[in-house]
Amino acid sequence: MSSSTTTAGRDTAVGQRSGIAGRLQWRAMAIYVFVLGEMIVFSVLSANFLTAANLGNIALNAADLALIAAGMTLVIILGGIDVAVGSVLGLLALISGTATLAGVNPWLIVVLAVVLGTAIGALHGLIVTKGMVSPIIATIGLLAVWRAVHFSLWGGSDLFAPPISLLLVERFAGIPGVAFLVLVVYGGLAYVMRFRSFGRNVYAIGNDAEAARLAGIRVTRTTIGAFALLGGLVGVAALVFMSRTGVIQAYSGQGLELAVIAAVVVGGTSITGGRGAILGTLGGVVFVAVLQNGVVLLGVPPLWNGLLLGVFILLAVSIDAIVNRRAARRERAL
Amino acid sequence: MSSPTHVDRPGLDVSRMLSDRRLFLVLVTIATGVVMSLLSPFFLSVDNILNITKFGVVIGLLALGQTLVIIGGGGGIDLSVGSMLGLSGICMGLMVNAGVNVWVAAVITLGIGLLLGAFNGVLVTVIGIPSLIATLGTLYAYESAAFVAAKGVTITGFAQAGYAFLGQGKILGVPAQVVLALIPAYLLVGAMTGYHRFGRRIYEVGNNERAASLVGISPARVRFVLYGISGLLAGLGAVVTNSWLLAARPGAGGNLVLQTITIAVLGGTNIFGGRGTVSGTLLAVVFIVVLSSGLQLAGVDQIWQLGALGALLVLTVMVNNLLTARSGSR
Repeated sequence: MSSSTTTAGRDTAVGQRSGIAGRLQWRAMAIYVFVLGEMIVFSVLSANFLTAANLGNIALNAADLALIAAGMTLVIILGGIDVAVGSVLGLLALISGTATLAGVNPWLIVVLAVVLGTAIGALHGLIVTKGMVSPIIATIGLLAVWRAVHFSLWGGSDLFAPPISLLLVERFAGIPGVAFLVLVVYGGLAYVMRFRSFGRNVYAIGNDAEAARLAGIRVTRTTIGAFALLGGLVGVAALVFMSRTGVIQAYSGQGLELAVIAAVVVGGTSITGGRGAILGTLGGVVFVAVLQNGVVLLGVPPLWNGLLLGVFILLAVSIDAIVNRRAARRERAL
Repeated sequence: MSSPTHVDRPGLDVSRMLSDRRLFLVLVTIATGVVMSLLSPFFLSVDNILNITKFGVVIGLLALGQTLVIIGGGGGIDLSVGSMLGLSGICMGLMVNAGVNVWVAAVITLGIGLLLGAFNGVLVTVIGIPSLIATLGTLYAYESAAFVAAKGVTITGFAQAGYAFLGQGKILGVPAQVVLALIPAYLLVGAMTGYHRFGRRIYEVGNNERAASLVGISPARVRFVLYGISGLLAGLGAVVTNSWLLAARPGAGGNLVLQTITIAVLGGTNIFGGRGTVSGTLLAVVFIVVLSSGLQLAGVDQIWQLGALGALLVLTVMVNNLLTARSGSR
């Protein structure tokens, strides 16, 4: 009797676990199905889409978006958000560009960008945790602060800077060098989120910060760590941005946060935290990048870009919200 | 934290003074005014003071909607206020250029604002998308739709049927837009939150969603209405802007959202809902207008003003929350 109860209990537990895992996998897979569909549509509509040169362009143009989206995924899973990433990218690109033109050693500039980015990210995390300001409010304010700093350092005319390293923008068998960097970052973060305690802590905090704290997880430290990691990746992205565009303007990076959040959310990460996957975000980035590229190839005026992206964010989160509510209702019914 | 057990103590209690945000705002506004009048003797002239009130109208209307949505709780925030203003303003421009009477177009524009707000309401309350992400999506979509509809350019043709009076005229020396748009909006919404049953429900829903629904109030319905009001106020903001500039720009709402959130929070609205006042928001509007016109006089660049506003937002919330946490643990 008792053994059958236990078995039944274990069965339910196993069933639930595989159910959740199944759904997570389904969510991560779903975005790739969408990407495939999107690519088929654009290949049919434009002869220029499915060429090695164009795919290489997409990879190059999406690289900074991809790097930031990877870090943003962690912060969002943790229950936070950082909408200041566009301003920080602009600022760090400006500083790196100025240093490059001044003839500073490229390696030193890489270190500078990453360290500054990490410090800024850590500051954001500190304000959110120790300062007790909600992430959206804190980073909306900081968005304006960093843009103002950017303006004060900006000389009043566009800054033209050479790439930090040609390895980033050169193509190897048609693939831009930076794509390898992106893949390494995603691989590393996917590993961390799955197999390291830091990753598990991020999920735990996103699910229930209070429960995580009671379970002995250092919530403050993990949160600051996630924001700092995002900041560091913004630093790398700033170098990529500078190298691929070659020009830094007063509004460089403005609005980037929207595309980043779109990629993360479309990739299946729950905006309320606790749920999501790094590899889903990679799909989300590809989806957003292919959409932006395909729209241009089809000759749709760039003005439509924001509209399409906005509609896709809303569609993706609507589906997510409806699926979640169904699942919650089923759970309640049980 | 719980006010009934709070014992009144004699003497100066800084945290209590800061927690009555309205008194605090009046004091810092006066202080800012004094500093500014030292910088420029022109600042405290009646003419100048009446004149700068018009810079608070559009932002004040948007901040009022923002305040309501935030008080409604459930993580409520409306990031799309500026985009709603931009899109409804462009719609009005298209109507006027299609031959619709400008005043008729203005009324329809209010309706368009209401619809845009209601769409936000549907996304949040019916579909169940978190407010932050829903209005982030519409921020994008509405603004972009405005650019698409306007083909990326400014629309003119508003100079007809005395429409310019609303944005440029004066009534007894006071800018007409203050008398005809700002004051009525604040009086109406203030009366609603202070005296009407619906106003009380906003606070109940914002304070404790569960308790509210147990006594038969539908949080979803209340919040839906709040998003609608926010859209309506953005539509009114568009009507005022178009009349002021006699032109509609698709990007007119650009940086306004930061200011509206700053004003709401500065005015004592709790970002987690349930607390905040219309009068607090109005005082915060006054403070922001005095501050930014003073900075303008002092020759501070626009972008620095925005940066200062951002820092102000973060610091206000931080000080407020840290003080609340300290008095809560005492």
